[in-house]
Amino acid sequence: MRKITAITITLALFVSGAAYALTADEIVRKASAASYYQGKDGRADVNMVITDSLGRTRERYMTILRYDHEDNGPQRFYVYFHRPSDVEGMSYLVWKKPGEDDDRWLYLPALDLVRRVAASDKRSSFVGSHFAYEEISGRGPEEDTHELEGEEDGKYKIRSTPREPGEVEFSYFVTWVNKDNFVPVRAELYDKRGKLYKTIEALEIKDIEGYPTVVKMKASDLNTGGNTVSEFSDIDYDIGLEEDIFTERYLRRPPRRYIR
Amino acid sequence: MKRSGFTMAFLMIVCVFLTVNAEAEEFEFPEIHGFLEEAFAPGFGSDDVKHRQYNMAEARLQLRADYYFSGDNILAEWQTAIESKCDFVLDFYYGGKVLTDLRELNAVFTPLDIVDIRAGRQVLTWGTGDYLFLNDLFPKDYVSFFIGRDDEYLKKPNDALRIMVYPEWFNIDFAFIPFFEPNDVPTGDRVSFFDSFEGGIAGRSSELHVVEPSETPKNFVYAARAYKNIKSYEWALYYYRGFDPSPSSYKNEAGHQIYHQRLDAYGGSLRGPVMGGIGSAEVSYYYSPEDPDGDIRTIQNSMMKYLLGYEKDLGNDLRVGFQYYLEQTLDYGEYRKALLPMDYRWDEFRHVVTSRITKFFANQTVKATVFAFFSPSDMDAYIRPSLSWDATDSWNLTVGANLPFGRDSWTEFGSVRKNKNVYARLRYSF
Repeated sequence: MRKITAITITLALFVSGAAYALTADEIVRKASAASYYQGKDGRADVNMVITDSLGRTRERYMTILRYDHEDNGPQRFYVYFHRPSDVEGMSYLVWKKPGEDDDRWLYLPALDLVRRVAASDKRSSFVGSHFAYEEISGRGPEEDTHELEGEEDGKYKIRSTPREPGEVEFSYFVTWVNKDNFVPVRAELYDKRGKLYKTIEALEIKDIEGYPTVVKMKASDLNTGGNTVSEFSDIDYDIGLEEDIFTERYLRRPPRRYIR
Repeated sequence: MKRSGFTMAFLMIVCVFLTVNAEAEEFEFPEIHGFLEEAFAPGFGSDDVKHRQYNMAEARLQLRADYYFSGDNILAEWQTAIESKCDFVLDFYYGGKVLTDLRELNAVFTPLDIVDIRAGRQVLTWGTGDYLFLNDLFPKDYVSFFIGRDDEYLKKPNDALRIMVYPEWFNIDFAFIPFFEPNDVPTGDRVSFFDSFEGGIAGRSSELHVVEPSETPKNFVYAARAYKNIKSYEWALYYYRGFDPSPSSYKNEAGHQIYHQRLDAYGGSLRGPVMGGIGSAEVSYYYSPEDPDGDIRTIQNSMMKYLLGYEKDLGNDLRVGFQYYLEQTLDYGEYRKALLPMDYRWDEFRHVVTSRITKFFANQTVKATVFAFFSPSDMDAYIRPSLSWDATDSWNLTVGANLPFGRDSWTEFGSVRKNKNVYARLRYSF
């Protein structure tokens, strides 16, 4: 009996040892790489349906191009707006630099104007949706301290607390990350009084060119009842985007072969 | 070649392009987008413009279409596109006159890996200022600005050939404009202004006559920019050879004639992140070739212009921006000596500060903006509040006001102080 107990304990230690072999920081870095750094580059068409508390909807349709320098390192994004009509032809360029403010430019074709956009607030809404900027382009793993709270249904449950609480509206957030492919499938954000006020869910995950990819996700504002559903289509990775597409030249002259 | 000839030639080239491509198998009819807008601006002026009760009442239809060449031909290989945009305006200010405003009709193509060319009617913009322009000497429509049209109409299009070259070391942007396009400035018909011949603010009574440069090759306008990003900082150098876009010199005083004197401009700018926001600095030297020593009293002297700007995002969809602008008339002593006893005397220095506050509400469907100019040296100001509501993806309602003030009638904003208005624009986009 004593022997069996010993074996059980050893087994339990072994199993938990294997499961917890990854630290919370490692899981978050892998999750960030799996969510925002698939391949060397990529493209996707994104349709956002923004629903307000009264059930009225608005739509944003855009193409996003991405170029990585290294996993969890600097990245460049190019966003071209197709719809609605009043923003058609606008393009947006982001040079993401972990640990620093991004460089952002917005091109307004009617004025031929390349505007530099101040980027210090990464928590502001992306194009009026319920997603914050950094929920689209990725929040740097080093901006929070992470704690592994356990496992549920094959997912790691991680609690992340901001290092600079003054810069964000949440006090902490909890993420569930698939153990097998490191795709985060749910996040809950808690406000300064500890109340849950926002959730982000992966509604559909597909294998695209070998990369598990969230193709439908939803952000819900529990205070107002509004939500935004983003659907990704025509996703392609490793298409050989040139780095110079992510410059002022292509704001003025959108690269048609990648955005149509 | 006269202007109409130039336009005809361009239209013919477009037709040839389209014919070439119509033979390609996959001819795709372009999508048409645009908007329909009603705009009305009651004014509370007291001068003798055409209508005292309002200075804008118009319905506007904008149509846009872009065409991309495809198939197996040189135009497709050059990724050629034709971009077009035309406004049709039913202008009740002028008794319901229908005006056509062709804002864009150009072909853009990439004949070499590092070269983009855009030929035809287009809007051109560069520089770092917000409503203040130093090295951007492309034409503006200040009448639209003062009566409350959308910002889009502050920029007037040019007929231009623009060549953009992108070698490794830095980028070059060159614009050739065969026919100088002047700014639209108040002339008393719709917006009253300061007329020095009348000695005060004038409306339709003004007999001022603006003489435009003749359309000859020696009056071609050239503009160029060289720019480069070094890390997060954008450096640029500018050159302009043309005419002052606003008429600011006298041709014939007895005939009340003013004109656009020749102007060369040389400048530079720098823009990048500063203390969590975006800082910018721009400088320009305006050389007046017709009055190089500054001693001709009827012609604008050479000038120096300086601009510092800062913009910051404070979070919660609140953004603030500030600018400081300084204008210096060079050879000021010569200018003063040349003046006659009855002449108006402009100051050597003009200082302007501006602020912009922008706040979004209701998931960015409501945008509130206040832009203010204030000149402590001229003692004048111009405040532009506006509130824009995207009721749906198609419907937008914008209301706002134009409030110029000034102690004196001859300063920039003081001269238009009788044109205060409020405006409302209802727009359906499709």
